[in-house]
Amino acid sequence: MVADIRPLAAVLVSAVAIVLIIASHRRPNLREGWSVVAALAKFGIIVSMLPAVIGGTVFEWSLYESTGIQFLEGIDFALRADPLGIFFALLASFLWIFTSFYATGYMRGLDEHAQTRFFASFAASLSTAVGIAFAANLVTIFVFYELLSLVTYPLVAHNEDDEARIAGRKYLTYTFFGGGVFLLAGTAMVYWLTSLVEGGPTLAFEAGGMEALAAAAQAEPVYAQAAFFLLIAGFGVKAALMPLHSWLADAMVAPTPVSGLLHAVAVVKSGAFGVARVILEVYGPGLIRDLPLDVPGIGEIGLNIPVAIVAAFTLTAASIIAMRKDHLKRRLAYSTTAQLSYIVLGLSMLHPYAIVGALFHIPAHAFAKLTLFFCAGAIHVETHTDYISEMAGIGKRMPLTMTAFTIGAAGMAGLPPIAGFVSKFYMLIGAGDVGGSYWLFAAALLLSAVLNIGYLWPVVYTAFFESEDRHDAKPLLEFPRGGVVQSYGDGSDDDHVATDGGERANGTEPTDTTETEDTVVDEEFEYAVDKYPSDHTGPDDVATDDQGDRVSSVNHHGDHDDHLTGGPPAAGWQRHSPFTESTWLMLAPIAVIATGAVVLGIGPDYAVFLELAIQIVEDVFGMPFEELSTVPFDELMTEVTE
Amino acid sequence: MSNIDLIPPLLIVAPILAATLPIALGLRYDRTGWSVATITSTGLFAAALALASVVYTSGEVIHTLGGYPRTYGIQLVADEFSTLIVLLITGVAAGVLAYTRRGGPRGNTFYTAYLLLVGGLLGISLTGDVFNLFVFLEITSIATYALVASGDGPESAVAALKYLILGTVAASMYLLGVAFVFMATGTLNMVELSTAIPAAERPVLIQTGFAFIVVGFAVKVAQWPLHTWQPSAYQQAPDGVTPLIAALVSTASAYAFGRLIVTVFEVDYLAAMPNAAAIVLTIGCVSVLAGTVLAVIQTEVKRMLAYSSVSQFGLVIAAYGVVIAGNSETALTGAVIHLVGHGLLKTGLFLGAALVAASYGARTVDEYAGLATDRPIVAGSMAVLLFSLVGIPPSIGFVGKWYIALGAVESQLWPVAAVIFLSTMLTLAYAARLLEKMYFTPATVVERPHARGPVATDGGDADRDDDSTPDSEVEIDDGRAAAGLRGGAARNPVSVGMIAIVVVVALGAVALGFAGGAIAELLEPFLTEVIN
Amino acid sequence: MVTAAVSAQQIERWTTMIELLTSRYTYVLMFVLLGIGLYMIIASQNLVKKLIGVSLFQTSIFLFFVSMAYVEGGSAPIVPPESNPGELLVASPLPQVIVLTAIVVGIALTAVGLALVIRIYSEYGTLREDTLREVRADE
Repeated sequence: MVADIRPLAAVLVSAVAIVLIIASHRRPNLREGWSVVAALAKFGIIVSMLPAVIGGTVFEWSLYESTGIQFLEGIDFALRADPLGIFFALLASFLWIFTSFYATGYMRGLDEHAQTRFFASFAASLSTAVGIAFAANLVTIFVFYELLSLVTYPLVAHNEDDEARIAGRKYLTYTFFGGGVFLLAGTAMVYWLTSLVEGGPTLAFEAGGMEALAAAAQAEPVYAQAAFFLLIAGFGVKAALMPLHSWLADAMVAPTPVSGLLHAVAVVKSGAFGVARVILEVYGPGLIRDLPLDVPGIGEIGLNIPVAIVAAFTLTAASIIAMRKDHLKRRLAYSTTAQLSYIVLGLSMLHPYAIVGALFHIPAHAFAKLTLFFCAGAIHVETHTDYISEMAGIGKRMPLTMTAFTIGAAGMAGLPPIAGFVSKFYMLIGAGDVGGSYWLFAAALLLSAVLNIGYLWPVVYTAFFESEDRHDAKPLLEFPRGGVVQSYGDGSDDDHVATDGGERANGTEPTDTTETEDTVVDEEFEYAVDKYPSDHTGPDDVATDDQGDRVSSVNHHGDHDDHLTGGPPAAGWQRHSPFTESTWLMLAPIAVIATGAVVLGIGPDYAVFLELAIQIVEDVFGMPFEELSTVPFDELMTEVTE
Repeated sequence: MSNIDLIPPLLIVAPILAATLPIALGLRYDRTGWSVATITSTGLFAAALALASVVYTSGEVIHTLGGYPRTYGIQLVADEFSTLIVLLITGVAAGVLAYTRRGGPRGNTFYTAYLLLVGGLLGISLTGDVFNLFVFLEITSIATYALVASGDGPESAVAALKYLILGTVAASMYLLGVAFVFMATGTLNMVELSTAIPAAERPVLIQTGFAFIVVGFAVKVAQWPLHTWQPSAYQQAPDGVTPLIAALVSTASAYAFGRLIVTVFEVDYLAAMPNAAAIVLTIGCVSVLAGTVLAVIQTEVKRMLAYSSVSQFGLVIAAYGVVIAGNSETALTGAVIHLVGHGLLKTGLFLGAALVAASYGARTVDEYAGLATDRPIVAGSMAVLLFSLVGIPPSIGFVGKWYIALGAVESQLWPVAAVIFLSTMLTLAYAARLLEKMYFTPATVVERPHARGPVATDGGDADRDDDSTPDSEVEIDDGRAAAGLRGGAARNPVSVGMIAIVVVVALGAVALGFAGGAIAELLEPFLTEVIN
Repeated sequence: MVTAAVSAQQIERWTTMIELLTSRYTYVLMFVLLGIGLYMIIASQNLVKKLIGVSLFQTSIFLFFVSMAYVEGGSAPIVPPESNPGELLVASPLPQVIVLTAIVVGIALTAVGLALVIRIYSEYGTLREDTLREVRADE
């Protein structure tokens, strides 16, 4: 434990940036410059601690030791750069660099309002996310967790229309229920429990679990269990565990950089990260196994099993829901919900390999999902298209973007050589090693991989292998659940099909896909020669024919941006080279992040994240990673308890 | 510092004597009230600081009035608990004057009542005698009735009369309670009572007395369902007065109630008294829930904040209940901190509401739409204060809530703990409503009948720009930051001082969020004394 | 035998109670007065009568204090200036001081209350609460 100001500096550097961003609100270039500078500085500070942390040093900054101020009686406000903390901070700060460029391109491309507020809140979000990473005890993490909810609220409600306000309201309600109620209650209970025994009261994280808590849990097992579930529920809200997930899809009304970095990386991962802290460093795997829950009819099970079941359910259910979302960002949001549950599932299996897999999945998913969101945002900026059903043939308009999207999609599904494969592989080994009922979780992982392909492949397929005038029906999207006799539906994107009966009645249109395609005669599209093609105009002309009608009749209600008309321009997509499809501000980050996802997948040993993950697990179990595989699982658990 | 024990009586006597000055000088000069009040309250604040520096370093300061022994004389006691309240009262009283200079009300009589109120409040905090407490309660009340009635419309007179009738009944109930306790013990001094009460031969008299005292304070502190006077009083009082009475009057009463519980009746005795803890807990918890529900359905901002006070004081009373039921030091710390914190937060919020009303005439939640772009500093400060009220760290609101909740958990009072944790959500329900209007609802012409003042001169711009440096993390603007602040220098109804005081309060609320350990440490001697 | 003993005890208890009621009848009167005051506050529609109720309520508490302090055969608590006045039976002085103070407070309250009533009357032209409510609702 080395006293060092750097953990605090890493948190505060973007807080300082907020001031500068607001101060320079009249000069956009300077303002965005501050964002980038802060991102680089933050990353630099964190990287400067990295070698020492890998070497086993832990940097700590404590409010009490440096100023003599005690945050609360008996509780210090402390920041600590340990392997787990630096793991998350490194990821968030690294991705922020590219997101700042991307956000600049995105916000300017759309000429958004309130950009100062946007960038200021964004910097604040990163500040708090790094605060969560470095928090050394439960109260400190609670402080940053609440602040994170607070500063992301302006980003969710950014659009200032009814939809954004409702999403913001929902966001605040969910996150504060998680933070202000569950997490606070859990924290207070842990504080009380540890005050009952010697060595307490304490809230500081300890690798392998707090010893005082383990002792207290023997005396008050019921309250210890309750506190565990309160803490998991508190972090589970941000990790979008079902049934607390629905804020995430609604929060997609936010600008895409927010959806990308915050609602796929910083915010939601802070939930998953919190779960990791609780499982690994508050309770510890051993204590979680030792506090059996008496379930009538089944017998005693470990505390981790309910969490794992919820996670397994979430990842399956969310994947299925994702298949029926036509709005690309919403589909990605449900994909995020599913992927976050991988992390929670891996952690709650408690096996060292599963934990390594889960931890490695944090960066793996972050890179892949950020790529996907960046692509979705680039499509939105360039063509104002949000719906997958309108993206037929978009591959020739945005070749690089859609290629990156393909890489990201493969990463989601866990296909080698993308990063997602490595993490999923470790988790499968972990599940298999425990055996027994854990095979169920392995099955869920495998099933979800298939489902991932099921919802992301159609996007790639639509983009590259269909054209704006020739595309197949999307049965899952357009048909009512359970299917219909006819093979051609009304193009409804979600559950509202039943109420839209009237619209289907205009199904005087041909009932056969092939027939539909035959009726289309707009083959002689002339590709425009304008420098700025009329991408932004709606398909009004096409609307007269069957095909266009079908596209525009996709039921969008419940989604935003309805005022923007998406879809291909009247003359079809213009063919662009990968270098002219968008501004470099957006293309470069996409390319870098997608490359990152591949690099993580090809050489996980060389990217620092796997090493850190292994180190974290070694700290938790207190033995070298190589030895862990030789020790039987049950013995491993008792080993920790001692 | 041998004369330090003169400060407590001076703190009470000075404002009451000074209260005559505005009227006397008013015979000759027009506008003397503000100066007299400012000099007096600044002096009081300085004296309070001096007192605090002694109390927190070398223990309590006791002044025995007239030198009569405490068995039948009156003592003024400044201990760790009361000094904190004294600091709050003098600080808020001095701060609100920064608003009233331009924001009004302005008459000399107003400042007379103002000083009288401050004197009464300081008396409540410092007295060591239960009957003397009644007298100061009534002095405070009379001043408050007068202040509420000084509002513009006739409605304020109705609100004041309603308050007067309920308030007098409540004070009389308290007096009746004191009578019963006096009957059983024969003394009125708090310290004497604490030894005489457990030794009393007729405990039924003590129980009856306590019951009357609880009812009396339930009205004074505005606990559901006896809160009905409070929303209309807060709403109808002049804008410059509401911050003062909302922050201090109920707070002082709640302080007095806490003082009676821990010093006079003593926790052990009440814990043994059947149902005492349950009754106090129930009053508190029900008020938390009912107050919030009523706050959510209000359309007027001041009324909404008034109902919010009902629920926040519910938390304090619930904390007292936890203290009785669980003998919990932590909960008492929480109650004290939340008392002070809530007082501070409500000062800021009502000042902010007053400021908005002064500049736009906006009083309903809907009229607050787009405030963030027009008045970024005020909106930002109010946002900070609201989030502090919700209990988001780091802020004084969180510190209080943490200790109260921890006390409830330690005492294993799970339903109470649940209510306290849920109160975060409930508070958020009305706070977020206002925030959403301020920040994410564009203003429309219909919603803003009173457009902002003419943008004539930029005379006062320079110092205001200094002001518009970001004050808080929520402080956000859209390039129009300074625009909203540029009004005609002469006709601007909002002065720099008015904005500054709101900002100072907001910053203070955040800064105190880091003082959770420090305040607990300051209170430590008091806590160990009253809780075994 | 047993039942007789119990009934004897009961009789004794009754007699003490009756004694209490006869000797401390002022307490009973005081609570009756208190009830009347409270009833007036709640039930009367006239604002002035409400204030009278408040005064009555307070006065009953003053009477309670005074009667509490009464000592049978005691004189007013005025002590002669001799250094040792010897055996003197006086009523307890403390409650009397309290009541004096409380009366002053009560008068101040009544004055403020009446001032408010005058203001309300001059604004609305009524003293009845129900009429007042209607008038205010109409505004």
